[in-house]
Amino acid sequence: MSDSVLTARALRKTYRSGNRRLEVFSNVDFHIAAGESVSIRGESGSGKSTLLNLLAALDTADSGTLAWDGCAKTGNAARGRFVGIIFQAFYLIPELNALENILMARRITGRIDPAARARAAELLDRVGLKDRGHHLPSQLSGGERQRVAVARALMNSPRVILADEPTGNLDEKTADSVMDLLLGICAETKTALVLVTHNPLYAKRTAREYFLHEGTLRPVR
Amino acid sequence: MPWYLYLAFKQLFPSGRRVTFFTCASTIGVFLGVWMLIIIIGVMSGFGYKYSRMIIDTQGEIQVRGTFIDNQEQLRGIIAKVSGVAATTPSAEGIVMIEYQKRPNYPGIIGVDPESVEKVIPISKYLLQGSMDDLDDDAVILSAGLAYALGARIGSKVTVVSPLTLERLNQDTYMMPTELTVAGIYEFGHQQLDKSIAIVTLRRMQELYGLGDSVHGINVRLAPGADADQVARAINETLPAGSRMFARTWMQSGEAFLFALKIERFMVIIIVAFVIVVVAFLVTSMLLVAVARKTREIGLYGALGATPWQSAMCFCFQGVLVGTLGTFLGVTIGLLTLSNIDPIARLIARVTGNWDLLVEIYQFTKVPAHITAPDIAIICVFAVGMSTLAGLIAAFRAAKLKPVEAMRSE
Repeated sequence: MSDSVLTARALRKTYRSGNRRLEVFSNVDFHIAAGESVSIRGESGSGKSTLLNLLAALDTADSGTLAWDGCAKTGNAARGRFVGIIFQAFYLIPELNALENILMARRITGRIDPAARARAAELLDRVGLKDRGHHLPSQLSGGERQRVAVARALMNSPRVILADEPTGNLDEKTADSVMDLLLGICAETKTALVLVTHNPLYAKRTAREYFLHEGTLRPVR
Repeated sequence: MPWYLYLAFKQLFPSGRRVTFFTCASTIGVFLGVWMLIIIIGVMSGFGYKYSRMIIDTQGEIQVRGTFIDNQEQLRGIIAKVSGVAATTPSAEGIVMIEYQKRPNYPGIIGVDPESVEKVIPISKYLLQGSMDDLDDDAVILSAGLAYALGARIGSKVTVVSPLTLERLNQDTYMMPTELTVAGIYEFGHQQLDKSIAIVTLRRMQELYGLGDSVHGINVRLAPGADADQVARAINETLPAGSRMFARTWMQSGEAFLFALKIERFMVIIIVAFVIVVVAFLVTSMLLVAVARKTREIGLYGALGATPWQSAMCFCFQGVLVGTLGTFLGVTIGLLTLSNIDPIARLIARVTGNWDLLVEIYQFTKVPAHITAPDIAIICVFAVGMSTLAGLIAAFRAAKLKPVEAMRSE
């Protein structure tokens, strides 16, 4: 726990449904160390994405604490630097080409300088899209778009990558290649990875595995 | 450049793609509104400006009028001492019959003092032919319309008969018609003044009307920067008590017409300003559609570290950029149109066949255009302000979106 980059304690999340409150989960503890990879599985609607949103401070818990690098400050600007988020639906900005989409992560959190451009180009090369930098998202395949999203998540050298079913929209072969890339880069750069997935094979490739069921996060191994 | 401004640019002008429909429609809307405002304000102000210039150039800034002014030299001396007065000239007016080659006409006639008139009424500026130097007691300067109606040219000898002839006939005496040589032809660009006016020397006019040394008025030119109302008040205070003379400014002379123009200008501006308001609604609705369409993208900005305020700015700036671009195009093309408004108006009038009617109503033989920097500044601030407001409404909607809810939206 001492080298934990992300720590969540006793998280509780409920949603209001009419006059009732539905509990998604309660008393969830979670931590991840630098360079470690953890997967979270669970049935649809079990609250995996909600948990990931809480870990990214995109949503607020009803109770519990969250700390990034031991610090409870989890504002917008800090999120952009500390966390890299990958979504199932890629969420690339359609008006920007691949390189501009990757640079967008830096634009929002800081300034674009030659070093940032060099890093974006290097990441584009790393995800195997060296020659597709000036292509718009509409000109890229699903796998290529997710590779761009991976590069964008890594642009600010975050401490943690939060990936929410990153292969959910991809065919098996493409999904495998994206997973290879994601796990490889995270290991290479010592970036912690929290992977939400339905696929047990991908879950097995992470160092630790959790299962979210009926509001409880249970370690599988 | 802040990312939201960069993204606003990119969303309006995407990389490697054609300009979006939103950009085109919104920019054209703002452009058309501003273009129309520039032209309408330019033309309406042009009529007012031209009319003012015309009054000043034909009568001076202040006119002192009385039934008969006998001691004009003395009076001019008094007026000249009033602060703000640059020059004075006497004049007399009436109606005569002019005949040339059995073509009679009944124009207005003005008698001017050749020595002082140019300092107050710059007739030379409007002379199409001839010279003021040739205006002596045996010469006449005709307006272009009058010369055309008579068929007279420079050097033509016209016969002038004044009402005094009839008066003399009643007294059983006969006054010979006066023969004058045409020394010049002028055009002020105002239908009424160019239609039927003759200018002679003051001495000839006094003779034609039997005025002796009297004149009908004294026209005053002011020093640059002098306030016409103030100077007119000062002159009225110096005029001899009970003289039945009074000084009035050029604004009072054309008060009714200038007021009508002002009201007309105001009404048209209000109507056209509503066009810009309608365009602002168009921009708002398009930006609101964009916000709805990009809801999940707005959630992404938050996930990448943007604050709600920054995401909102992205849409606000789109309104600002569309407004600025549309206004720039509107002002540029509007000014270009204004600089060629006369040939354009003539072309339209030729097609619709109502040029004569236009001249009849507005009196000017050329469509005038005059727009000032403050007018342009007000139009720019109004158009960009409305577009910014349109962007702000969409931005407010975007700012209210929470990243998680935005990304979950379908």
